Amino acid sequence: MINRRHFITTVAVGTASAAALAACGTGSSSSGETGSAEKPVTINYTWWGNDDRAERTRKAIALFESKNADIKVNGNFTDFAGYWQKRATEAAGGGLPDVMQWDLSYLRDYGQRNQLLDLSTVKINTDAFEKSLLPSGQIKGKTFGIPTSTNAFAVYYDPAKLASLGITEPDGSWTYKEFNEFLVSVGSKSNGALFGSTDYTGVWWMFNVWLRQNNIEAFTSEGKLGFSKDDLKKWWNLTADLRGTPAIISEERVTQLAPKSPFGSNVTATEVTWDNFMAGYLGDSGAKELKLVPVPSDDKDNLGLFLKPSMLMVASAKTKYKDAAARFIDFMVNDPEVGQIFKTSRGVPASKTQRDGTTFEGTDKVVVDYETSIAQYLKDAPEPPIVGFGTLETSFKRVASDLNYGKLDINGAADAWFKEAEDLIKQNA
Amino acid sequence: MTQSPTLSRRSATSASSLPRKSRQRGVDARAGYSFLLPWLLGFIVLTLGPMVSSLYLSFTNYNLFDPPKWIGLDNYATMFQDERFMQSVGVTVGYVVFGTPLKLAAALAVAMLLNSARMGQGFYRSAFYAPSLIGASVSIAIVWKAMFGDSGPVDQGLSFFGINLGGWVGNPTMTMPMFILLTVWQFGAPMVIFLAGLKQIPADLYEAASMDGAGPVRKFFNITWPMLSPVVFFNLLMETIHAFQIFSSAYIISNGEGGPAGSTLFYTLYLYLRGFSDFRMGYASAMAWLLLIVVGIITLIIFRTSKSWVHYSGDAK
Repeated sequence: MINRRHFITTVAVGTASAAALAACGTGSSSSGETGSAEKPVTINYTWWGNDDRAERTRKAIALFESKNADIKVNGNFTDFAGYWQKRATEAAGGGLPDVMQWDLSYLRDYGQRNQLLDLSTVKINTDAFEKSLLPSGQIKGKTFGIPTSTNAFAVYYDPAKLASLGITEPDGSWTYKEFNEFLVSVGSKSNGALFGSTDYTGVWWMFNVWLRQNNIEAFTSEGKLGFSKDDLKKWWNLTADLRGTPAIISEERVTQLAPKSPFGSNVTATEVTWDNFMAGYLGDSGAKELKLVPVPSDDKDNLGLFLKPSMLMVASAKTKYKDAAARFIDFMVNDPEVGQIFKTSRGVPASKTQRDGTTFEGTDKVVVDYETSIAQYLKDAPEPPIVGFGTLETSFKRVASDLNYGKLDINGAADAWFKEAEDLIKQNA
Repeated sequence: MTQSPTLSRRSATSASSLPRKSRQRGVDARAGYSFLLPWLLGFIVLTLGPMVSSLYLSFTNYNLFDPPKWIGLDNYATMFQDERFMQSVGVTVGYVVFGTPLKLAAALAVAMLLNSARMGQGFYRSAFYAPSLIGASVSIAIVWKAMFGDSGPVDQGLSFFGINLGGWVGNPTMTMPMFILLTVWQFGAPMVIFLAGLKQIPADLYEAASMDGAGPVRKFFNITWPMLSPVVFFNLLMETIHAFQIFSSAYIISNGEGGPAGSTLFYTLYLYLRGFSDFRMGYASAMAWLLLIVVGIITLIIFRTSKSWVHYSGDAK
């Protein structure tokens, strides 16, 4: 039975608690909505990568949830190419996931367009980071990304394969001519059973390394191209004599093998790419051991190498759970146990706390040792590159593939890429 | 396909008693529209609205993040200087011109085989229709890619006969035949419609032709083809429009890149890449509208020519 007094009390208590809740809401609005152990908030986290990374990420998420009962993390992943198309669609609809793994190439595209949260406004501990690395995640005084780890360019090889061909292992001090000769010898000694490598001139970041070796800036401070068409032609000419020979795998085969890499499929002896691909290559190829040496350079003192944030952690500008997002990012970049889970598969941990808390053995030690060995050649980490950098990379790869198919000659390829690049830069200006 | 006599009688009676009937008709119309409303709302919100906004976007420079900037006809003008655009047009036209007639021919041939009375015909009909049920799915594109890859079943099968083409997937000259085979294999939908059309043709026409000594070829060209022409017309129209819209299989087989060497850069795939990979949504919208206009024109042309080759049984000829 409802009597009058009872009714009034109920209403009064109800109103008071509603007011208190509302006060709570305003009080915490700067850090977004928060959860409790009974009623946890759920944040979405997305990353790119293969099954190996998915497995490790799931472990890290489980660990985070066990330590933070008030937050649930809903994970989701795709491959690299599809990743950016998805993010573009979500950003257009205003629904980016709360926390995302990010690539340097796309930081400016989204950061400059107000899609990412300024992480300096939330609580993330960056004391254990190299001070020279943090600017890679910053644009105009705002911190959009925190590096999880670093990676550097390297030449991978499988010592067992070289031994079976009777080729001595390289020490990594080689010119482009010597590197090419090495690739030719792999092709000829294996009678075409093993190719030397994929066409390394089709690798956009390797082109950037080569530009640094020649003291050419890839982009001017105004965001224009810093190199000329002749530079690009010179670059593509480096392997002109090798295309179509066993020194370089044909583009037909590369396409057939995709999305697996030729090196991971055991059809090439070497690969020029980022050193944190180690775990993926080991998994794909089943090789016992893979080694890393520096990239070729015609200038012995300038290898053009640099440590890049292999990936960054970012949050959506529109996230309702700033506090939860910040705690998850802090955990992913700093926690030593996360380091133990990922080892070097994300790169070498950027935070000293995480790095020191991780034991590196076997192939993981190879990666860490490699980054230590090149320390004397390293230049500063690059700033976030220009808007559209990721698109330039995609088109570079495609044009280089057309070149290998013989659809374009070097002049035509350089013309085609420059036209697209200039068009893109004009669009984004 | 004859005029329904009941329909004409009803319209005649309603004309004689206008005032009362028209009120009744107003109620009917209102009821009709209210039943239509859920669909109509969906159409306006989900189809018409986006179409209008994409028409607007096609005149702008829009990167998904910043507000669109009006640039007039620039998107349409630059298209024709864009080599990748021209390539995508070439790839798509080749696919439509070769793929559609081959698919229809396969559909008609199988429909004629399945039309005759035979043991287990029901089973065969389902079996031949099955590929088109699953054909549009992602899984089939993946299977196709594996079949036509290096040392896949197709490569091995052909090399048994001494033909060494290698994998088709990585070879720019072989990707188009591969896609055409994929679409031809999915002949089920037009096949079912052809089958229904064949069942409509009166058996006495064939009997009479046999009496007059006509052979199977003669019967096909003088009876089957003209009697079936409305169905052929319908299938041709639908399949042509479909062919222009090929996307998912191309996306899967080429890893969303349109390779190798741009040989699978279908129009819709390039449109998608422009919009969501290059952030050129204005350009992509312009491409979408151009496709709509071109498909519209082609449909119109097919309709116009149909007068000379499509025969309806009611026509005096």
